[in-house]
Amino acid sequence: MQKQGLAVQTIDVTKVYRVGHVDYPALRGVSVKIGKGELVSIMGPSGSGKSTLLNLIGALDPPTSGRIIIDGIDLRKLNQDQLALLRNRKLGFVYQSFNLIQRLTSLENVEMPLISRGLPEKVRRDRSLKTLSAVGLQSHARKRPAELSGGEQQRVAIARALVTGPSIIIADEPTGNLDSKTTREVVDQFVQVNKKLGTTVLIVTHNAEIANRTQHIISIMDGLVEKEQYLQRLDSYSTA
Amino acid sequence: MIGLKIVDMFKLAAKALLDRKMRSVLTILGITVGSAIILALIASSSGLNASITSNIEKTGANVLTVRNAGGFFASGSTSSYRLSQQDVDYIKTIAGVIGAYPYYSYGASVNSGGTSLQASIVGVDLSALPILYKGLTISQGSMPLLGDTTAAAVGWNIANPTSGTPISLHQMVSMSISGITGSRTGTGVTYAVLVNAVLSQYGSALFSNIDDTVFITLQAAQLLAKSAYFTGIYVVVDNTDDVTNVQSAIQTYYGDQVRIISPGQILSSIQSITAQLTLFLGSIGAVSLFVATVGIVNTMYVSVMERTREIGILKAIGYRPKEIMGMFLAEAAVTGAVGAVCGLILGYVLSFLMGGMFVGGNGGGRGGFGGGGVFIGGGAGTTIQPVFSGELILFSLVFPVILATLAGFYPAWRASKMNAVLALKYE
Repeated sequence: MQKQGLAVQTIDVTKVYRVGHVDYPALRGVSVKIGKGELVSIMGPSGSGKSTLLNLIGALDPPTSGRIIIDGIDLRKLNQDQLALLRNRKLGFVYQSFNLIQRLTSLENVEMPLISRGLPEKVRRDRSLKTLSAVGLQSHARKRPAELSGGEQQRVAIARALVTGPSIIIADEPTGNLDSKTTREVVDQFVQVNKKLGTTVLIVTHNAEIANRTQHIISIMDGLVEKEQYLQRLDSYSTA
Repeated sequence: MIGLKIVDMFKLAAKALLDRKMRSVLTILGITVGSAIILALIASSSGLNASITSNIEKTGANVLTVRNAGGFFASGSTSSYRLSQQDVDYIKTIAGVIGAYPYYSYGASVNSGGTSLQASIVGVDLSALPILYKGLTISQGSMPLLGDTTAAAVGWNIANPTSGTPISLHQMVSMSISGITGSRTGTGVTYAVLVNAVLSQYGSALFSNIDDTVFITLQAAQLLAKSAYFTGIYVVVDNTDDVTNVQSAIQTYYGDQVRIISPGQILSSIQSITAQLTLFLGSIGAVSLFVATVGIVNTMYVSVMERTREIGILKAIGYRPKEIMGMFLAEAAVTGAVGAVCGLILGYVLSFLMGGMFVGGNGGGRGGFGGGGVFIGGGAGTTIQPVFSGELILFSLVFPVILATLAGFYPAWRASKMNAVLALKYE
């Protein structure tokens, strides 16, 4: 399912980390365009800057220079509160290490983004349960992360990312800690979300097999876009 | 409404605290103890103050006591002036004085119903008792008549000793007088009187516990003392506004040959002492509460550091900095609130224990002071009732919460300012 327009655009984005008096450029001028409803993979070796790019697109960290536009919104123009609101409304995050809150149950973890929206408890519960069901974990709603397998934990994390109905899902090596069978299941989940809901999905990965299931592969090397590849013809999406 | 609701914020805070039960309990314990100590100290010292005030107020504020300069208030005085009938006559002439009643007082041990009791013997014009001690009434019998040297009006505790048989009217009571102030009589005098009246239960007044006193006529006391010189003179002033004038008139006339005791003055000086006591004890409590507050800062800070990753997650899923700050402040506030409530309960219990402690030091409330004594604890067996004012309760509920919230401020601020990317990487 493709929609009109760009979900993400970065224009000549750089990011320099300063450690002591030494500057480490993580990104050195990255310009990418990601259409709405695309399933994108970002590849590159460790230290290439792919995670940094993901954090910038995720509005978690500001670029040193350049612009990032999410759904037509220039992040430079937003303050901390507005950035938080944007993350809550438009973005969903999935991490390699799941990043679930250990002391909360699956259901409570999924509910967390909705709590900050000020939704009534019943609405939150219903929506969270529905989302947990969608990832096949309705029976694990009362379990804590420690009681779940890695694959299950990652599905809880996906449910947490989906529960707010985001337009973009950002996944940072989501299968890095999973075996090959579970990896397939989790990737299936992303593909399904992308197809059924039309959610833009960005996956950072080392795994070529995963990348091959996406439509658009962005390869990053030494803080620059090395290569962009479209694996499927995208009729309704203009790269111009 | 957009954004985290306050009620959800507190629910999340409570959940986080319950997750670290032991640590939360210990932090709360600090607050509990600190605020309990403050509450108990203030409540029992206000109780002490109230008790002293009520004792002093029983002896009317319009009654001055004039005594020989030597004695309790002026140990070391070399004055040998002795009060006599002449002085009574003179004092009566002072403007504003409506009565002057000389009295003798001795300390004695009284044999009542087979039990030996420590008592005060006071010889005074018995018809003046209701004027000197407001609300004092006779329970049985009638006051001995003027000049009757064998009859007495006895206080409630003398007639009804805690052990042994009660004394009935017209029964003989023998008194072994250990010392007579204002007379040349030595120790070891024994004297027997018939009980003509039993006074109703009254409690402590300024210089004596009426319930532990045997009142005899002035003439009987004079006989006993073998002296025309009185222990002191009660001076009744027409109204309380004139008390100061009368006091200075007497002081001017006698100089430092006599001591004048004014209940109002004693009241204000004791009140200022108890106010200082309250302040002093309160500041001890404040120190412990301060220590507890530092404990909160520490616990919260450790908690923020431990939950760095959780904070990163909250940021990633769209919690605003002020919401994250609010969540941690709510944890601190809940800690303070639980501590405050526990502190209120503990402080309430503690204050009654302290009330007992104060009276324990009073040793039954019999002092020197010329056969009297300022009874701070009421009679023997009574305890200080702690006083819990609305302000005190409100203060002890609100103050720890404010303090805890302030303590949580820096850790909460740190949490809200964390860099999300670094926080998510935190191991």
